[in-house]
Amino acid sequence: MSAQPQKELVTGETWYQPGDEIPNVGMKLFALRNQCTECNVCEVACSLVHSPDGEINPQLSRVRIDHAPEKPSKVNQEGLGFVAEICHHCGNPPPCAEVCPTDAFYYDPKTLAAVIDQDNCIQCMECVPGCPFDVVFVAPSGELLKCDLCGGDPVCVKACSTRPEMLNKGKQYNRMPVLFYEEQSEFNRLSREEPVARDEVGIMQAMLEAGKISSGA
Amino acid sequence: MESNLLRVDLTTGEIKNEIIGHDVFERWVGGSGINNWIMWEHFLTHDINCDPRSPDNIFVFGVGPLAGSGAGSGVKGRITFKSPCYDMFGDSAGGGKFPYMIRFTGFEYIAITGRAPKPVYLHICNDEVSLRDASHLWGKDTKDTHAILQKELGDYPSKTHTLSIGQAGENQVGIAGVVSDALRIHARCGGGAVLGSKNLKAIAVQGDGGIKIKRPEGLMKWSDEFRQSLDKNEAVYGFKRRGTLGAVEMYQHIGSHFWRNGQGNMFRGDDITSDNWVKRFHKYSEVCSSDCFIACDAKYKIDGTESEASKEYIGESFRRPEYLTTGSAAGALDVRDWAEVAHWGKLTNDYGIDNQDLSCSISFLMELKQRDLISDDDVANLFGHSQSLEWGNMKDIERLVDDIVFQSNPFGKMFGDGPYKGALRYSEMMGQNFMKYAMYGKGGASFTEEMRPFPTWMNNMAVASRGADHLKGLGLIEKFQRRDLSQIYFGGPEAADLTIPDYKGASTAIIENQVALLNSYGVCMFHWMLDPAGYMPEKYYGEAYRSITGVEHDSDQLMRDGERICNLEKAFNSRVGMRREHDTICERWMWEPTDEGMYPGSVAADMFEPVLDEYYQWRGWDVKSGLQTRAKLEELDLGEVADVLEADGALARG
Repeated sequence: MSAQPQKELVTGETWYQPGDEIPNVGMKLFALRNQCTECNVCEVACSLVHSPDGEINPQLSRVRIDHAPEKPSKVNQEGLGFVAEICHHCGNPPPCAEVCPTDAFYYDPKTLAAVIDQDNCIQCMECVPGCPFDVVFVAPSGELLKCDLCGGDPVCVKACSTRPEMLNKGKQYNRMPVLFYEEQSEFNRLSREEPVARDEVGIMQAMLEAGKISSGA
Repeated sequence: MESNLLRVDLTTGEIKNEIIGHDVFERWVGGSGINNWIMWEHFLTHDINCDPRSPDNIFVFGVGPLAGSGAGSGVKGRITFKSPCYDMFGDSAGGGKFPYMIRFTGFEYIAITGRAPKPVYLHICNDEVSLRDASHLWGKDTKDTHAILQKELGDYPSKTHTLSIGQAGENQVGIAGVVSDALRIHARCGGGAVLGSKNLKAIAVQGDGGIKIKRPEGLMKWSDEFRQSLDKNEAVYGFKRRGTLGAVEMYQHIGSHFWRNGQGNMFRGDDITSDNWVKRFHKYSEVCSSDCFIACDAKYKIDGTESEASKEYIGESFRRPEYLTTGSAAGALDVRDWAEVAHWGKLTNDYGIDNQDLSCSISFLMELKQRDLISDDDVANLFGHSQSLEWGNMKDIERLVDDIVFQSNPFGKMFGDGPYKGALRYSEMMGQNFMKYAMYGKGGASFTEEMRPFPTWMNNMAVASRGADHLKGLGLIEKFQRRDLSQIYFGGPEAADLTIPDYKGASTAIIENQVALLNSYGVCMFHWMLDPAGYMPEKYYGEAYRSITGVEHDSDQLMRDGERICNLEKAFNSRVGMRREHDTICERWMWEPTDEGMYPGSVAADMFEPVLDEYYQWRGWDVKSGLQTRAKLEELDLGEVADVLEADGALARG
């Protein structure tokens, strides 16, 4: 886990405005629905990594665990599971940035994640309903919280109790991970050329289930 | 590190906040250590020999500093009180979301005293604390109570998590537990009866505050290394897949189960002994305690195709049975269908009652019936209705559970405090000594496992501060024959050798200290069992503890802290009159040889006394009386505890 104060992320040299033609995304972060165990490790780790003074608080986390038995997926049809709600990194431009009246969203040039510049944000909360996946969160202080990919080394993925490193060790244990952070260089092109519905399942999972992309995990 | 203690006097309705200073953490680590201290201080001004169901008893909840703070080793809350079923020190751990969420309210410790005039529940929402009417919850099981409270209190400022009692607690059944989020039970010692006697149905928490970490960089570095060590550890994957159920197969192999009230040590029945149930389960998702890197738990939902009996329970969904759910149902009661075992787990959890005490009470009577020691008339007198007392008959077992939970007949009233008191009362009523068939240690119900070939386990059962117990001194060095660990602890392989008494009492003493530390950290014991360096929580979690709390204790100091915590539990029991003669086990374990398994012909008596002597010696206590000495207590900075014991005549002489 590396402490990455958020300030460092929003002061990059070259910033892409929403609508700019940006280079293709290399690494993608996404969560599979109903695979989550609700262990809360990601919430704890995320809040700690983003806290300037070492505070753990799930309400300051940029990933939230939700119990959604009514949303079964093709991967887990029983629908008994939990869901890690995290930014789907929609592509270009993301709906949260589109509705922002102060253009407070920028792309981090390193990860191409859309991040919120807290200095420009007026906390109008337009982006909260603006996000189709309900993954822009409001901290108790009113601050808007959104996944920033921790500068390219997302701590939630490393900490997840179903992280790929812990899975698929022969016959002992075999299942799908919850959080993926992996090379998906075709994502932007495919999502533009052959768009799939931005439904509740999420773009990545929909593309995975439709066989448009594959995952090594 | 500082924390807040919420004191609630239910008699007057007074609620106040007290600061727990850094000095208290320096001395008592956190979690169960601090709980013990709060209870000890309470009984300096209240009668320690009070009826545990009276308003004078105290109920303490606490959660340690490593829980939910990125240590990734689970979250265990701790409840501490004087036990209504065993009349001695009582405490119990439980996981789930309640102890996780309570940390974000700012109150990590709650002390409840007095008795409310009518049923209430305690609502803690950040620093707003109130006692509210619970008449609409009274009579409800833990599942419904949790659901109603979640609906009533909503999701703002956070989700609602609860700790509640079921009907067993309301009826003050001595072996009633307290259930976290309707899923995980603080089962042992009767905390549910204490809350029931106080008319407190539930505690509901919501919080959006944070936990401050003293040295976040230190914690993050530790956490990184910890995760990498887990990734390399093969044992983790077995645990992830099967949880404690993995023990079924291994125990069947070595003969370590507890079958029909301890008459055998292997399970019977193809369904139970096969691995299929775990496989059938695994199509369902894992669930987890909070902040845990392992996630060993799973949910099931019965669809009626699993087994013959599963047709009865179509649609039932709950947590996958743990080993002891299985040990009590498939073992003690000889239930041979997995769907019924799973149902037993749900049933006892919904009522909020300990399945170890319950199964040993029921299996005691079943054995009397099996041996024709009681007639059909005796049974009818006891129950007021016909009762087959047939091994493994789940329909009948459910009625027996109801009898105890609702205290509806002489059987229920007699066995509400577990098998030891139950057997004593029943023997007295019948004018005949049936104690030979009661399975207990130090007055507490047996842990449903075979003990006799394992001298450290026998010693654990005899000396544990809360009655027969495997979670205070867990003798894994010996049971798994870990010569490597014996070498680390004692410089030789003796502790792993089952055939000699050497270092068996010593193992108990050292591991009790370590377990006291784990319970005070607030983490789960399973991570400790996966510690690649050998079970050493003072080293393993030392850096995490220091980073989180700023208590700069090295490994040796932490071990001494663990020893101090154990000594306070012992002092409590000495004050209620417990001496060496109470550190004992039941007749079957002591004298009746095993006749199956890997170690046939074992009796505990062979090594019991020398191991007990060695335990006291390693503890620095008086071997003859079993009492603590002033010298040892002062060495542990517990001079004032020695003064109290001396005044009560509970300190060793000389």
